[in-house]
Amino acid sequence: MAVQVKRAKLAGDGALERASALLGRARLAVIGGLLTDIAGAEAALALAEKLGGVIDHAAGEGLCRASRIMRETGGCPASMGEVRNRADIVVLVGDGPLKREPGLLTALFPKKEGLPRPGNNSRGLVLLGCGEAEVPAHIPVTRIGLGNLDLATLVARLSAAVHQHQAQVLDDDLATTLQGLAERLRAGAFPVFVISYCDLDDQVLRTVLDMVRQLCVTTRAANLSVPAPGNGDGVNLCSVWTCGLPVRTSFASGLPEHDARMYGARRLIESGEADALLWVEALPTFGVERPQGVPTVVLSSTGNGATAADDVAIEVGCPGVDHDAELYLWSIAGIGMVKATRPNGGAPTVAEVLGRITERLGSPEARA
Amino acid sequence: MIRLKGGRVIDPVHGRDATGDVFIDNGRIAAAGANGRKADQTYDVTGKIVMAGAVDIHSHIGGSNVTMARLLMPELPALAAKGGAKIAPTPAAWGAFATGIRYAEMGYTTVIEPAMIPTHAIEAQRELSRIPIIDVGGLAILGNDDFTLGLLRDGAGKTALEDYVAWTLAHTKCLGIKVINAGGSAAFKFNARSFGLDEMVPGYGVTSRAIVQALQYAVTGLGVPHPLHVHCNNLGLAGNVDTAVATIEAAEGLPIHFAHIQFYGYGSEGPDGLSSGAARLIEAINAHKNVSVDIGQVMFGQTITLSGDILRQFDGRGAAKPKKWMINQGDGNGTGIVPYKYRAKNFVNAVQWAIGLEIMLLAEDLWRVLFSTDHPNGSLFVRYPEIVHLLMDKAERARWLEQVPEASRQVLNLPGITRELTFSEVAIITRGGPARLLGLTDRGHLGTGAVADVSVYSEQADKTAMFAHADLVFKDGELVVRDGEVVNVTWGRAFQVAPGFDAAIERRLDRFYDRYYDLNPSIFDVPADIAGRPERFATVPCLT
Repeated sequence: MAVQVKRAKLAGDGALERASALLGRARLAVIGGLLTDIAGAEAALALAEKLGGVIDHAAGEGLCRASRIMRETGGCPASMGEVRNRADIVVLVGDGPLKREPGLLTALFPKKEGLPRPGNNSRGLVLLGCGEAEVPAHIPVTRIGLGNLDLATLVARLSAAVHQHQAQVLDDDLATTLQGLAERLRAGAFPVFVISYCDLDDQVLRTVLDMVRQLCVTTRAANLSVPAPGNGDGVNLCSVWTCGLPVRTSFASGLPEHDARMYGARRLIESGEADALLWVEALPTFGVERPQGVPTVVLSSTGNGATAADDVAIEVGCPGVDHDAELYLWSIAGIGMVKATRPNGGAPTVAEVLGRITERLGSPEARA
Repeated sequence: MIRLKGGRVIDPVHGRDATGDVFIDNGRIAAAGANGRKADQTYDVTGKIVMAGAVDIHSHIGGSNVTMARLLMPELPALAAKGGAKIAPTPAAWGAFATGIRYAEMGYTTVIEPAMIPTHAIEAQRELSRIPIIDVGGLAILGNDDFTLGLLRDGAGKTALEDYVAWTLAHTKCLGIKVINAGGSAAFKFNARSFGLDEMVPGYGVTSRAIVQALQYAVTGLGVPHPLHVHCNNLGLAGNVDTAVATIEAAEGLPIHFAHIQFYGYGSEGPDGLSSGAARLIEAINAHKNVSVDIGQVMFGQTITLSGDILRQFDGRGAAKPKKWMINQGDGNGTGIVPYKYRAKNFVNAVQWAIGLEIMLLAEDLWRVLFSTDHPNGSLFVRYPEIVHLLMDKAERARWLEQVPEASRQVLNLPGITRELTFSEVAIITRGGPARLLGLTDRGHLGTGAVADVSVYSEQADKTAMFAHADLVFKDGELVVRDGEVVNVTWGRAFQVAPGFDAAIERRLDRFYDRYYDLNPSIFDVPADIAGRPERFATVPCLT
């Protein structure tokens, strides 16, 4: 039976006990969604450790892809501030960046004077396989569409040109265009590729990062990554400083163990390996659907976050709206403070609720 | 009241090295019979060594740069353990919680994170707040950021820079200021690949020398107890002892602290163009009483280097082992992360290892020559006991020297050095010296009224074993370690200084961040309640 808990009644009813009991008796509990602030992520990690459970984020696949590439090859990222002030050539790769951040182009090309920057090239934008994106009139733009190629092939052909590989020359207009772009990139004082790792596959990401490394041999170059939605980067970093590993980490063995495939929340539930779910959606869900099929505790900041079928549903505040929150902010490429836009003392934070569930886990009622 | 009875009490701050008792009352060191009270709990520590809790002046233990390194190399603890380092072979061993536990086990109770990126101070302070037991403090990085450079370019004057430094300290809640390759990281943004003391930062027209001097004056003028903490230009380059000596001389008598000085102790003599510059360096340090240093001792084995000296890290990326690196081109300095394995059989690494020891062993005034490995850059902090062993035991040094190439021995002073540090001298470089230099006058010693951070060790010939695990550690008077293991997890404080500033600088900064970043700097202002615990921050008074 569902237990709907209204704000400001948290301490007085049995929802926390029911949530603790549900999670405490699970063989393997998954904490998923994790659309929350840093404090919420810390509390979730502490709970997962106590439960011997698993943590994942709604954008876990993209986060793990980026983390794996970093682990295997490193990277050469730049902050938004550096790119908007100093990059002379900005290449958007695919549709992802603009889909995630519709205001991206005006942020990257403000109508303001920038900081001192290297070289005297005029600044320009390249849309590489981006479709029909609208570009403000003040930004000089070069469009290189996919044509009949897929994005991986287009990026690979640009990479070959950047590397000046002695390959068979494809005598077409695209080859000429890509050669021209490669020359611009090599002559650039600070070329930057803008990517969304949640939207690009492993092959494309590695090719882009390899291009950046190649350009770094003779100039300064970087990639600018659009962050994962739902504070994914913040939650991931919090996981790393807490247990040394990114999300999709299990504490079942007592020591944290990371596996991007095995510890995906959805896979664990669909395969039957996990038998309880704690789903946190205090921030907007960006269309992610909650896995179904196991006893579930839902922490949601929206009335429609929980359903009648949920075993326990607890309303929480929305970080940065109902309460001040530490969130990953793209503008500083790190964790910053977002003040509440409509502070509401009634709804508990995710951290408060998870902290109380964790406290109760050791109690006989929770273990019964 | 707690009585530690009959130990050999080593407290060089008070010139004490004698058998006696130490009393703890209400979290502080107390006099015998203070307030007419008798001990209600006695620990018999007869035959053991009793020291203040150790203070680490320079160890990268938290912040966005550290976590980026963790993300790059979760296998670091496993690889280090494989080489013999006393660390659990799991990624968690490099996390915040394990850091506090391992430090406490060794008898450390205060650690300074020396490279806090101001715009990332919230992450850094939150990470630090998740490290148990130890007290912490941060040093905020300035000197390559566009605001500082703009002030200097525009000739804004001493007061404006002082206000900006004070504003930065307030926002980051830090204990001091660090400058890393002054101007070099900014020059990297203009594609410079090297940067000397008198080179100009492109776009700003100010030299490295001018940046360091201006920040020195600002820090001193504000009365910040810890001198400007300086990472020089030309780190790790053969012949860079010239740069270090020139920077020492450029300080013009104002207080200045040089971080991980070992990495600047390189001469360019000998058949391989690399030799020990330790003797020349220590001569300059001895002669300039305004100068203090920490060592940045190298130890053989796997580690990872992380630094705001992005220019140097970029240049050094080819030496990465394993073959991966990250150059994070962030605001201000940015960060370079390059995994590295120091090898005993490598000529250069052997010279590096020896130079750190030489500097400490040749020092006339150990109060100004302090212990560090620049964790994790020279080695992981878990290697400290081995280094103490090397400093206290010339036979141990001889055993290590047998492992290094003959060619390196030829260019070193170490084989001829017979000095062995005493317990009191070890207490100076790991306790009294760093605490004094940081302005943390309530620690690093066992005088009445000091904070009751106390470490008790069983004296052993094998100093590695002795210092790896303390018998007892008290933090703020609470027993936290017994028989080398943590028995009580407590949570410490973070130190900051809070010199005042003219509010005009806030308006200027608001305009700067709005114009160039479209943001308000309040988003990286560290809140006082970041730890979720009361009284997390303690303010150290400025000098008047």
